[in-house]
Amino acid sequence: MPATVVIQAQDLSRVHGTGDTAITALDGVNLSVAQGEFVAVMGPSGCGKSTLLHLLGGLDAPSRGSVLFEGQPVHKLSDDAITQLRRRKIGYIFQFFNLIPVLTAVENAALPLVLDGIAPAVARSKAAALLERVGLGGRLKSRPDQLSAGQQQRVAIARALVAEPALVLADEPTGNLDTQASQEIAALLQQMARDWGRSVLMVTHDARVAAHADRVVFLRDGRIAQETVLERNAADNQALLAGLITAAA
Amino acid sequence: MALTLALRYLLGRRLRTGLTTLAIAIGVMVLFGTGIYIPTMLEAFQRNLRATAGQVDVTITHRTGAAFTARRTEKFLRIAGVRALAGSIERTLNLPPEFYGRDVRVGALLLLGVDPAAAAALRDYRLVSGRFLQAADGSAAVIAQSLADALQLKVDGMLPVPTPAGVVKLRVVGVLAGRALAGNEQVFLPLRLAQKLFDMPDRITVIEANLVENDDVQRAAALQAIEAQLGKELQLGALGAGSEFMAAMQTSQIAFYLIGFLALLMGGFIIFNTFRTIVAERRRDIGMLRTIGASRRAIIGLLLAESLLQGVIGTSAGLALGYGLGRAITTGGAGILRQYLNLEMGALVIEPGLLATTITLGVGVSLLSGLLPAWGASRLTPLAALRPAALAPQQVGRTGTLLGATLIAASLLMLLSGRFALLALGGLLFFIGLVLASPALVQPVAAAFSVLVAQLFAREGTGELARGNLTRHPGRAAITASATMVGLAIVVGAGGLIFSLNESMLVLFRKSMGSDFLLVPPSIAVWKGDVGASEALANKIRAVPGVAALSTLRYAQTSMPARAGSGLPDIAVSLLGIDPAAYFSVSSMDFNAGTAELAAAALARNERNLIINGILAAQTGLQSGDTVALSTPEGQQDYRVVAVGGDVLSAKITTAYVSQALLRQDFHKREDIFYQVNLTATADAAAAGRWLAKITGEYPQFRLVVGREYLAEFSKQFDAVFAGTYLLLALLSLPSLIAILNTLAIGVIERTREIGMLRAIGATRRQMSRTIVAEALLLAALGTALGILAGLYLGYVMVAGISASGIFRMQYTFPLAGVLAAAAAGLLFGVLAALVPMRQAARMQIIAALRYE
Ligand SMILES: Nc1ncnc2c1ncn2[C@@H]1O[C@H](COP(=O)(O)OP(=O)(O)OP(=O)(O)O)[C@@H](O)[C@H]1O
Ligand SMILES: [Mg+2]
Repeated sequence: MPATVVIQAQDLSRVHGTGDTAITALDGVNLSVAQGEFVAVMGPSGCGKSTLLHLLGGLDAPSRGSVLFEGQPVHKLSDDAITQLRRRKIGYIFQFFNLIPVLTAVENAALPLVLDGIAPAVARSKAAALLERVGLGGRLKSRPDQLSAGQQQRVAIARALVAEPALVLADEPTGNLDTQASQEIAALLQQMARDWGRSVLMVTHDARVAAHADRVVFLRDGRIAQETVLERNAADNQALLAGLITAAA
Repeated sequence: MALTLALRYLLGRRLRTGLTTLAIAIGVMVLFGTGIYIPTMLEAFQRNLRATAGQVDVTITHRTGAAFTARRTEKFLRIAGVRALAGSIERTLNLPPEFYGRDVRVGALLLLGVDPAAAAALRDYRLVSGRFLQAADGSAAVIAQSLADALQLKVDGMLPVPTPAGVVKLRVVGVLAGRALAGNEQVFLPLRLAQKLFDMPDRITVIEANLVENDDVQRAAALQAIEAQLGKELQLGALGAGSEFMAAMQTSQIAFYLIGFLALLMGGFIIFNTFRTIVAERRRDIGMLRTIGASRRAIIGLLLAESLLQGVIGTSAGLALGYGLGRAITTGGAGILRQYLNLEMGALVIEPGLLATTITLGVGVSLLSGLLPAWGASRLTPLAALRPAALAPQQVGRTGTLLGATLIAASLLMLLSGRFALLALGGLLFFIGLVLASPALVQPVAAAFSVLVAQLFAREGTGELARGNLTRHPGRAAITASATMVGLAIVVGAGGLIFSLNESMLVLFRKSMGSDFLLVPPSIAVWKGDVGASEALANKIRAVPGVAALSTLRYAQTSMPARAGSGLPDIAVSLLGIDPAAYFSVSSMDFNAGTAELAAAALARNERNLIINGILAAQTGLQSGDTVALSTPEGQQDYRVVAVGGDVLSAKITTAYVSQALLRQDFHKREDIFYQVNLTATADAAAAGRWLAKITGEYPQFRLVVGREYLAEFSKQFDAVFAGTYLLLALLSLPSLIAILNTLAIGVIERTREIGMLRAIGATRRQMSRTIVAEALLLAALGTALGILAGLYLGYVMVAGISASGIFRMQYTFPLAGVLAAAAAGLLFGVLAALVPMRQAARMQIIAALRYE
């Protein structure tokens, strides 16, 4: 693909602990995500998926190798600079939504802008527009406890997108949702990449969710075991992925 | 098992455990520290005045401690079984500082005028050198070894002693073995000499007797016969010295206990808050334990074990700190006590009752505060506990708010009543009302202050976050704010009282002590041990050129029956003799009932009239026009109350004023113990001062002071006492700091994941810190606002209450400095309390935080 690379991992490694108890969570991973690309990361539990996401998002520092965000080495930046990068260029989506219970949907979605010093009114109108796009236009004033799990995750997605980031990182975004809601969220992430031009890197265990991606990366013991480019139609991909997963296990 | 688990849980949250425990420790410290101070002071006081009881079988004194006629010994002498019996004079002499030179620390002498012939049969005097007194002795004395050492005196040396007739030198004829208690050096002299020196012809203050030995039946019979002969005025046993002063001190003790208890209550608040959070945090643990078969009681036991542990540790630490505090106050207050009351402080007195009470309260409050949350936890069904806690913000209880508002309204109405009991009740209701209503105030106050905070931290969303965090748990925020409120209310309230008291005292002092010169004995207000001077001194002073007026005080001790039907023992009364005309021309009183003119006229008449002071009126219920019986050396006499009023020195002592003529007639007292001198307008003050200094040089028991200087000195000392009291009160606001810190720290722990998320989506460390500071400031602002409000009310109630009770009338002075100090302290506390949690929040590892359950 000729499109520009948004984020690139070079020989990325992460070792937890030292000496005998050292655990290599990630071991020499090379990976790049282009603009508008939707990449799914799969693999058995403990293979280092979350670790990879943390390193790419600047939440954790690598033991070896580097992360280039739009060509710039991330971990050479100061903590504040990395934080600013996260605030403006990277959106995060968590398995457990992590919404603030006392804030309404629109206030939650507006948080990154508010943290960036943008006037609350402006931030809120942007957040409202995004909630509209993720299908929650009617629930702007609802608090998290008044929303279903799928709706809460949509709020989290709106929050991830509100700052118009280049990259969205999602760690098992459907891990807490039923099949129906999972499919909707997966489709939304697909739309995010294809129509809105964001790069999306998503960790998932669910083949039907991964089927929406452009590419699937299989991790095993901290290394990339296999990479597969998928078809544009999710339904066609499911059988293929099911086979791959069985083979990988 | 419960204890192991409790210990693990507590150690798992060291900071929180430490802070909660510290809150209890501070409460215990105040309770224990002040509980040590007053008994220590009283002990010193009693030691100073205590008559040397012991060694003899029977001691007989007058009920009031007054002297009585020596003829009273006769009827006792005739009783069979009395082996030896004699009357003697015991009199404590307060010595002016450095009376015996710079380095000699002898604060008082206990003069014992004994009958040389009978004394040996009563006591066994062990002589180190010389001999005992003999019937033929003139100005002779026998002293104890310790005094001889202190003054470097030997047999045949001369011992100077201040007397009403000036300093008299006694020849030391013998030195007794042994060492007296500090400040209570015994000097034996012939009875006849003592009677002469102190103008007590044929009078004695105590009868001592020894009974036959080895015959219990006869001894019992003799004792019975003595009791039958006592009559109304005499009593067996030595006198409880200075009871009027003791009563005043016991009132202070109660006030101190109250303050300590409040401090402990704050600790309770804090523990309660912590345990509520602990229960919320451990919902899942508790659900799991219940699922695998833990009973309700086991859950309660687990939580109570934790609070018990904290209570025990906090109380132990508090006791140690309290001992230090007691020491510090005792040392700090020693100077003033020495100067005004001639007291030497001894070892700290720790009453077993105090120790028991403090421990019970410290551990008890901790346990009680843990009980309610524990009970709540035990009510959780396993299923409910395993489900995630509702994320909905806590609702504010409507009933509590309404009840609180009603109580506040009621207390305001009581404020208007001006009745002491209603005022006191109103103060309590106001507090409870504020505590109940405070959850409802969290929202509006937070909203109002977040506007301010938003200005401070322009447009970063941190102010809003902070506000959201607080309004999420209005109950917890309110409890924290309540703890702050109680702490600051005490400071502001006591500030109001202290400022008002200070102002009023100074005004009164100026009125009562406004004369040009004063002759001041070593102990003022508690006159008993002071040595006065005979009329000769007064006459000499009157003769000094430029002296326009002289007023003196004379003193006798008496007692009057307590409020009729109250069943209380007699009230000890300081009876002051004044010259009505002279007194009101030089000094003045503050009258609750009656006027100076009428009172002076009534006292000048040849009738048994007296003026009683406010505290005495309050204790007896006596009013102007009533008749009261006073004990005199010759039996009870009826006196008529003509006015209620008093001077500043006697404000805390039950006191009555009579004319000096009456005091002489009924109580045989002629010594002047306090002088106030006014000069003519044209007099040369410096020359008059030199004259007076020369005259009073012969009476070293008095210190000649210039009125103006004395006033300045007094107000300086007063300020020092107030500053000390204030410092103590400031200590009390410390737990509110801990309360805020605690709530913030708990908030940070609870929101760990939230903080992780915020950091992940791009909040900087600085933004996290600011959120916590903003939250702290909001909390502190809430607590401070309430605290100042409650404090002002409290102060006003105390001032109005004390005035209404008639003990001491004062004007309410707005404690502006106190309010400003409280506001500053509140904000400072907010920032200080934020420091640790702030670091915690900022330093949090994002990934670990996101993982946190
Ligand atoms: N802080 C840590 N200390 C020690 N080991 C760690 C730490 N964090 C992760 N690991 C280890 O690193 C490895 C990778 O963990 P990671 O969380 O990335 O796995 P994962 O692929 O996301 O698993 P899952 O699918 O269960 O979420 C695991 O073996 C884990 O035990
Ligand atoms: Mg993971």
